[in-house]
Amino acid sequence: MQSRLHAHNGVVGEGVKFERIRRVTGYLVGTLDRFNNAKRAEVNDRVKHMHV
Amino acid sequence: MIRFIMKRDGRKVAFNEQKISNAIRKALISVHPDDEITAADEKIVLKLTSMVVADIEKELPKTPSVERTQDLIEQAMIKSGLASEAKNFILYRQRRTNARTYNADLTKIYRDLTSKSTADMDLKRENANIDANAPMGLMLRFGSEGAKDYVKRYVLRPEHALAHARGDIHIHDLDFYLLTINCCQIGLKDLFKRGFSTGHGFLREPQSIQSAAALCCIAIQSNQNDMHGGQSIPMFEYDLAPYVAKSYIKHVGKVIEICLRREQMDISSLKSFCNGLYEKRGTLLDKEAQQKIQEFVEQELTQLGSKDAKNDAAYVMVESLKLTERETYQAMEALIHNLNSMQSRAGAQVPFSSINYGTGTTAEQRLIMKNVLLATDAGLGGGETPIFPVQIFKVKDGVNTKAGDPNYDLFRLACKVSAKRLFPNFSFLDAPFNIKYYKKGHPETEVALMGCRTRVVSNDFDKTKEIIPGRGNLSFTSVNLPRLGIEAHGSLSRFYNSVDRTFAMVFEQLKDRFDIIAKKRVLNYPFLMGQGIWIGSDKLDPEDYIEDIIKHGTMSVGFIGLAECLKALVGKHHGESSEANELGLEIVRHMRELTDRHTQETGLNFSLFSTPAEGLSGRFVKIDQQLYGKITGVTDRAYYTNSFHVPVYYDISAADKIRIEGPYHELCNAGSISYVELDGDLTKNVDAFEKVILYMKQCGVGYGSVNHPVDRCPVCNYVGVINDVCPRCGRRDGEGISIERLRRLGVDCSCFD
Repeated sequence: MQSRLHAHNGVVGEGVKFERIRRVTGYLVGTLDRFNNAKRAEVNDRVKHMHV
Repeated sequence: MIRFIMKRDGRKVAFNEQKISNAIRKALISVHPDDEITAADEKIVLKLTSMVVADIEKELPKTPSVERTQDLIEQAMIKSGLASEAKNFILYRQRRTNARTYNADLTKIYRDLTSKSTADMDLKRENANIDANAPMGLMLRFGSEGAKDYVKRYVLRPEHALAHARGDIHIHDLDFYLLTINCCQIGLKDLFKRGFSTGHGFLREPQSIQSAAALCCIAIQSNQNDMHGGQSIPMFEYDLAPYVAKSYIKHVGKVIEICLRREQMDISSLKSFCNGLYEKRGTLLDKEAQQKIQEFVEQELTQLGSKDAKNDAAYVMVESLKLTERETYQAMEALIHNLNSMQSRAGAQVPFSSINYGTGTTAEQRLIMKNVLLATDAGLGGGETPIFPVQIFKVKDGVNTKAGDPNYDLFRLACKVSAKRLFPNFSFLDAPFNIKYYKKGHPETEVALMGCRTRVVSNDFDKTKEIIPGRGNLSFTSVNLPRLGIEAHGSLSRFYNSVDRTFAMVFEQLKDRFDIIAKKRVLNYPFLMGQGIWIGSDKLDPEDYIEDIIKHGTMSVGFIGLAECLKALVGKHHGESSEANELGLEIVRHMRELTDRHTQETGLNFSLFSTPAEGLSGRFVKIDQQLYGKITGVTDRAYYTNSFHVPVYYDISAADKIRIEGPYHELCNAGSISYVELDGDLTKNVDAFEKVILYMKQCGVGYGSVNHPVDRCPVCNYVGVINDVCPRCGRRDGEGISIERLRRLGVDCSCFD
């Protein structure tokens, strides 16, 4: 979790990743970086159920 | 001709057939330790030895290893029908491994914990909501790994330790095996009335919604420190509503003072009038109560010398209501902020919290729900999506499912907020397995959930206490269903036999665990038991054992990978074929019958759980890949599919997924969840979202939610779907952007230094 962003030569955000919130078990998790390898693989495999 | 054997340390030594015979002989004697070895035994020794030697020779020229040779001895015994001998041999091997690796395993884990980064070490990411980079998080892992190792070596029965190590079963939260129980549904009503103590000093009953919301967070935090799982508030709006009324009375008094330009007025007559009214009607904010209060205020104002009492009273009514609404919003906003930031368990994590609401219809209760939803919608300080508390909206016919119902507006709002923020999830009180506990006017009988999915309601230990608050799950253990499917080699009778055997073992293990905790005393759980949260604990003394009261809790057998199990058994999973689905239902029904029967036999609450499986999702399959190789559709991915879910990779419509998974909810009485993945900006289509939720209800789902991507760009604060490029600032993942450009886009740049 990054709380403060530093600007370097008027540029900000280098190395700062997008936050991607996903549901795991029933909880939400704030960033994919904290997922274990198996759950990461599962999240990558998830397909959308488009047709309602 | 076998010339060498490879020792464990890698040395090659001369092969000695006699050593194999010795091992087999010992195993044979182990089943009748008091008798001498017989001639018949010796015959078997000779026969098995030659079987093993022949097996090794088949693998030549590869030099056999000690481990491989022992595997072959095991197989030879099983093939020859010597089941108990084989079991003893396996346990003997396990004990030897234990002794040999004593220190080595744990030392290696400790070394890795210290030297490897979280990114490189899966173990540090076992639970995504615990930060193992931070010192206290790491300390927690040290303690946790040490405790697990100790429990596996010295506490579990060897056969349970072995079944766990081999991945037949998974005993969850082994680190807490000797310490505490899993989770609890907290009733705040009595706790607040009594007041409570968390450490030093006594906290009196809160006198406003703002302090009640703050104390709610403290109760969650304190209780979590006594348990290893999450905490939920099952009757959120019911427990907090009285404090909205208290705030309201205060505001009325304050506005009267302002009207009359006075300070420090005595408002005790107003207070006792309103308290009496609240006691009688359960609300101060509905039309009728408001009218009575207005009359009373007008009288008071006249007596106190107001020149225009009628107008002043009207002003007091409008302003105090506004102030109460404002305070309730701030209280809910603070609650969400607190639950996302307050630390628990020595700073490693925030408490795993859940709140359930949806059915309360008084104005106070509705005000709480509306504002907790609005605060969730607004997000945290930087616009972030709150990840705690898990919010669960209780859907109930006649209360909130269609236009004209008193809380239909809140259900709509819940859909809208969930479409943006992923919470609330939805629970369905009309499902037959939930409605049978429901008593109108008794919200303590409304089924609630822990965020992860745990559900505790039935109570065979005490049928008069089939209620939600004060109860929870004690512990659970999961079964590796795919392995049982693979090992059945297509024979269903063999499959069911092994399910029965595995469940019997898990029941025994859960009871062992229960017996350990049963010998703890109230004083071991200063908040959970000491403050009377757990049902019945308020009647006990600090020195009393908790054995009897924890019988109100549940012990659950969980499972993972029904889909892979079906693939192994019949080649298709339940999403692909209706026959497979029939079999899937039959299997889960069978497992439920086992837990039901065991409940009847023991009088304890055993239930069937669709395991959340975060840490477990990859553990079984990793072991099974080593044992069986990559079997298509079974062991060829990095994870086993969660519980009874249709696999995430399988292309299926939302409706079909819900329809297939629905009936499984009834069978998993320890809790389950279904979700569907929808795309894009759902916020724009609340109707579609509502339809999905109501379809879940129609299909017998007990607890469900909709997944959709919620991304945020930390640089420009955009929240929504971000594919490769941020739609607001145009940045790619990890890319820099000039402050000048951000300013032109209207982004607040004051926080960059």
